[in-house]
Amino acid sequence: MAIVEFRDVSRVYKNGEHEQRALDHVNLKLEEGKFIVVLGPSGAGKSTLLNMLGGLDSPTEGTIIVNGRDISTLTPNELAEYRAASVGFVFQSYNLIPTLTVIENVALVKEIAPNPLSSHDMLSAVGLEDHIHQFPSELSGGEQQRVSIARALAKNPHILLCDEPTGALDSETGVMVLKLLLSMARDMGKTIIIVTHNQNIAKMADVVIRVKNGKIRSCEEQDNPLSVEEVDW
Amino acid sequence: MLIKKLFRTLWQYKAQFISMVIMVALGIGVFLGFNVEWYSLEVNTKEIYDATGFADFRIYSDKGFSPEDLEAVKGIGGVDDATRFLSMNVSVKDDTDTLALTVSENMDVSGVLVMEGEPYSAEDPDGFWLSDSYAAANGISVGDPLTLTYQTITLSGTVKGLVKASEYLICLPDSTQMMPDYSTYGFVYISPAMLDNAIPALYRAFIGSLYHQINVKSALDKADFVEAADKALGTTRLILSKDETVSWAEAQGEVNEGKTMASILPVLFLAIAILTMVTTMHRICASEKTQIGTFKALGFKDRRILVHYSAYALIIGLLGTMLGVAIGYGLGWFIMNPDGAMATYIDMPSWTLHAPRFTWYVLIAINAFLTFIGFLSVRKMLRGTAADALRPYSPKRMKHLRFEETKRFKKLGFGTKWNLRDCVRHKARSLMTLFGIIGCMVLLVGGLGMKDTMDAFLDVFYEKAINYTTRVNLDADNMTNGEGKALAASLDGDWAASRAIQIGDRGYTLEIYSITHDKVRFSDVDMNIISLTDDGAYICSRIAREYSLKAGDELTFSPYDSNEHYTVPVAGVLDSMTEGIFMTDAFADRTGITYTADSIFTDAAEIPENPHILNKQSKQSIMDSFDVFMDLMNKMIWLLVIAAVILGIVVLYNLGVMSYTERYREMATLKVVGFKDSKIGRLLISQNLWLTVLGILIGVPAGVGVLQYLLTALASEYELKLVLGLPTWLVSILLTFGVSLIVGLMVARKNRHIDMVAALKTAE
Repeated sequence: MAIVEFRDVSRVYKNGEHEQRALDHVNLKLEEGKFIVVLGPSGAGKSTLLNMLGGLDSPTEGTIIVNGRDISTLTPNELAEYRAASVGFVFQSYNLIPTLTVIENVALVKEIAPNPLSSHDMLSAVGLEDHIHQFPSELSGGEQQRVSIARALAKNPHILLCDEPTGALDSETGVMVLKLLLSMARDMGKTIIIVTHNQNIAKMADVVIRVKNGKIRSCEEQDNPLSVEEVDW
Repeated sequence: MLIKKLFRTLWQYKAQFISMVIMVALGIGVFLGFNVEWYSLEVNTKEIYDATGFADFRIYSDKGFSPEDLEAVKGIGGVDDATRFLSMNVSVKDDTDTLALTVSENMDVSGVLVMEGEPYSAEDPDGFWLSDSYAAANGISVGDPLTLTYQTITLSGTVKGLVKASEYLICLPDSTQMMPDYSTYGFVYISPAMLDNAIPALYRAFIGSLYHQINVKSALDKADFVEAADKALGTTRLILSKDETVSWAEAQGEVNEGKTMASILPVLFLAIAILTMVTTMHRICASEKTQIGTFKALGFKDRRILVHYSAYALIIGLLGTMLGVAIGYGLGWFIMNPDGAMATYIDMPSWTLHAPRFTWYVLIAINAFLTFIGFLSVRKMLRGTAADALRPYSPKRMKHLRFEETKRFKKLGFGTKWNLRDCVRHKARSLMTLFGIIGCMVLLVGGLGMKDTMDAFLDVFYEKAINYTTRVNLDADNMTNGEGKALAASLDGDWAASRAIQIGDRGYTLEIYSITHDKVRFSDVDMNIISLTDDGAYICSRIAREYSLKAGDELTFSPYDSNEHYTVPVAGVLDSMTEGIFMTDAFADRTGITYTADSIFTDAAEIPENPHILNKQSKQSIMDSFDVFMDLMNKMIWLLVIAAVILGIVVLYNLGVMSYTERYREMATLKVVGFKDSKIGRLLISQNLWLTVLGILIGVPAGVGVLQYLLTALASEYELKLVLGLPTWLVSILLTFGVSLIVGLMVARKNRHIDMVAALKTAE
C-alpha cells in the first residue's frame, strides 16, 4: 500500500518577475516500510520534494497524499499537527536546541506528538543512554545526529525524512548513522526517505528516486540492496 | 563601496538601529532637558538680579531708618551700595486687590526693569511703575489712572511704566500661598517724592521714618556683615541675607530641584541607553562576523574594518545626539517659556534657553564612548586569523547550572527549562530587559508617587489643616492685641500673631495661635492632625533637621529688633508650609513673649468694614494658587509617564527582536518538529513576562527608593512624606506589564514568518 503519493505536484518560486520551477509535475508513489533514497545534483529539487512531504512547504499545484490524507491544502496549524504526528526530520546540521540537554531535546516532542515513545528508549536505541544529561555542544557531530534521529523517532512517526543526514559527518560516523536509519526501516517498519547526492547510499536503498530539473527522472526498486558493510565507503 | 555597505547594513538592522537612536536620543534628551531647565533658570534669574540690583542683605527695623542710618551702613567696608527701602501692602481703590507698594531711594539697589512706558524717575510726583504681570492680568495699560489706599491715605496717579523687579521675582502675598496670583496681587513702585507728598507731615512725624528696610549690595558673608551692621547702627537688627528671601531662595530652590532631578533621572536613561548600546552592538557585530571575516580574508586591514564598523556606533551616537539635543531643548522650552508652567511662578523678562557647558562635554564623551563600544565589539570579532574571523559567531557553550540538580527543576516543563537556560546563556540581554523594566517601573512609581505625595500633602494642609473659609489680615502695626482679639471674637474666629525671630543668625517666623474654634489645625510629621498643647514650642521639621532637635529638647531664639533671648522646650515637630516655630498664646504669655494678633481665621459670611483690616483671603484663592502649582507638577508627571512607556517599549522591543533573532533557528526547529506558532509565541512571551515580574519586584522598591531620594533632596523646600496610593501601584504595575505584554506579542507575531527551510539549512 502506498504511504505517500504525489499527484502532478509542482512548486514554483516567484522572485519578482523571475519564476523558478523547483518541482515540475511530479507523480510518485512510495510504499510503507521502505528505505528510500532520493538522488540528484544540487538544485535538482530533491530537498523541495522532501519539504513538501514533510509539510514544511505546500505545492503550487497538485496533490500530496500521505496515509490517505491530502496534506497539500492544510492550514499552517494543521500542517504543524501533521508534522507533530506523522513525520520525523533529520537534518544535515542536526538542529538541536542548544539550551536543552540530550534527554530534554528528545522529550520535548511529548509536548506535541499524540503518541510519543519513551525518550529513554529512543536514546538507548541510538546508543546514547550514557549521554542523556549532556548538552548538544558536549557531543560529537555523530552523537548529535543520533540525538536528532532519536528525537525524530520519539514522535513515533510513520515517515522519517532525512536531508543529507551524513553530510556533516566523517565517513565512519556517517556509516554508523546510516546503519541506524536502515535498522529503523528494517526493525521498526518506518518509512525512511533520505535525500542525498552521495551515490553510495543509494546502493543500500529499497527504492532509488533520481531527480533532475524538478522532474523525476527515474524511480527504481532494488531487489537486493546492499547492507551497510557491503558498500564501499 | 564600504559607504554603500554601511547604509545598507543600517537598513538591514533598522529595528535595532532605530531603537538605539531612540534610546540615545531619549537619554540625551532627558539629560539635556533637565540641565537646560535649571541652568536657563539660573542664567535668566541672574540677568534680572543683576539688572535690577537685587540686594544681598536686608536690614529691618520697626521704627524705620534715617538717612544717617543709611550713611552708616554705606560706610561699612565691603558694602558696595545701599538704599532705604519700603514695601507695604496697600489696597487698590474700589477693588479687593492688594499691591506691594514699593519705594527704593536708590534704584541701583532693589530697582526695576522697565518693560514698557517711561523710564523710572525718582522725582516723579504721581507716577506708578506697575508690575507688568499684574497689569496684564487686570487689563491695565500705560497711561491708565490708578488709586491706592492705605488706611486713611490715598495715592492717586497714572501708570507711567510697566516693570519687573527682582525683589518680586516670586510675587507672593504671604507664606500660605505657593503660587503668585497676579489677578489679585502684584507690586508697584513709586518715587520717594510721591511717597513724601502722599504722607501728611503730621503722620510722618508720628510714625517716624517710613523706610523699614535698608537693602544692601555687598559681597561680605552674613556673619561679618551682621557684626559690622550692628556696630554701625548701634543695635542688633534683624538682617536677612538674600538666600532667606522668597525671590532668591525659591528661585534657587527651583534651580536646585532641577539639579537634583538632573542628577537622577537622566542617569537612569543614559545608563540604559549605554547598556542597550553595548548589548546591541555586540549582537550586530556577532551576526556580521562572517562578513567581518570576509573583509579580513579579502585583505582589508584590521584598522579599516574597525573604522568601518565603529562608524555604525558613531552614526547612532550622532543621530541620537542631534535628536536628543532637539528633545532636550524642547523639554527645556516646555518648562521654561514665557507662557509655560515656570512663568506662572517666576516673573522674569528673559526666557532664553541655555545648556551648562559641562553638558556639551558629556555629549562629546557619550559619543566617544558609544563609538568605543562599537570599536570593542568589532575588535572582539576580528581576533585571531582570517580563518578564525570567518567562522560564524558561536555563543557560549551551555553548562549545567547549580539549580538544575534540584528536583523542582527536573519537574519543570521543556518550555520553562528552555527559557530559563536561555536567560542564563544570554545574560546581558536578559539583564538589559530587566533594566528596561526596572527603569520603566522606577519612572512610573517615582512620577505617580510624587503626585500622590503632593496630593496627600495638599490634602492635609488645605483640606484638613485649613478649616476656615476666610483669613483676615490685620494691620498689626497700628492696633493693640486686645483690638485684634476682640475682632476675632466678633467674627467667631481663631487668631494668630507672627513675629520675625532669629535662631543663631538665621531668620524664621514665630507664629502664636489662639485656637478655640478649630479653624486652624496642625499636622505632625506622620501627617496626623494634632492640637497644639501649652507645654512648649512646636518646630517645623526643617528646623528640627537643621538644628538636630526633637521633642523634649530646648531651643533658643530671639525676636528681631530685640536683645531678648528665649529658651523654650520643644513640644513637637510639625509638617508645615512655613519654616518656623509655633506655639499657643497661653505658652507665649507664660514665656513672656509679646505679640499682636495679625490674622483671624473665620467662617463668618460677612466681614464688616474695619480700619484695622488690611485685606481678606478666601480659602478658595489659596486653593486656586495650588491648582496652578499642581498643573505644573502634573505636566512633569505626564512627561515622566510618557518617557517611561517609551523607554519600556524601545528597550523591550529592541531586546525582543534580538532574542527572536538569536533563537530564530531554535524556533524554526520547534516549528519543524510540529510546534504551532501560538505555542512558540507563548514560550517567547512567557520569558518576557517572567523578566517583567522580576523587574516589577525590583522596580517597586527601587522606585520607592528613588522617590524617597528625591523627597529628601527636596526636603529644604517642602516637608513631604512619601505616600503611594493603591491606584499608583496598580497603574505602575499594569502599565509596565501591559508594555511588556504588547511588545512580547509584537515580537511573538514574527514567528509566523519563520522560514523553516532556510533557517535549518544554515550551519550552526
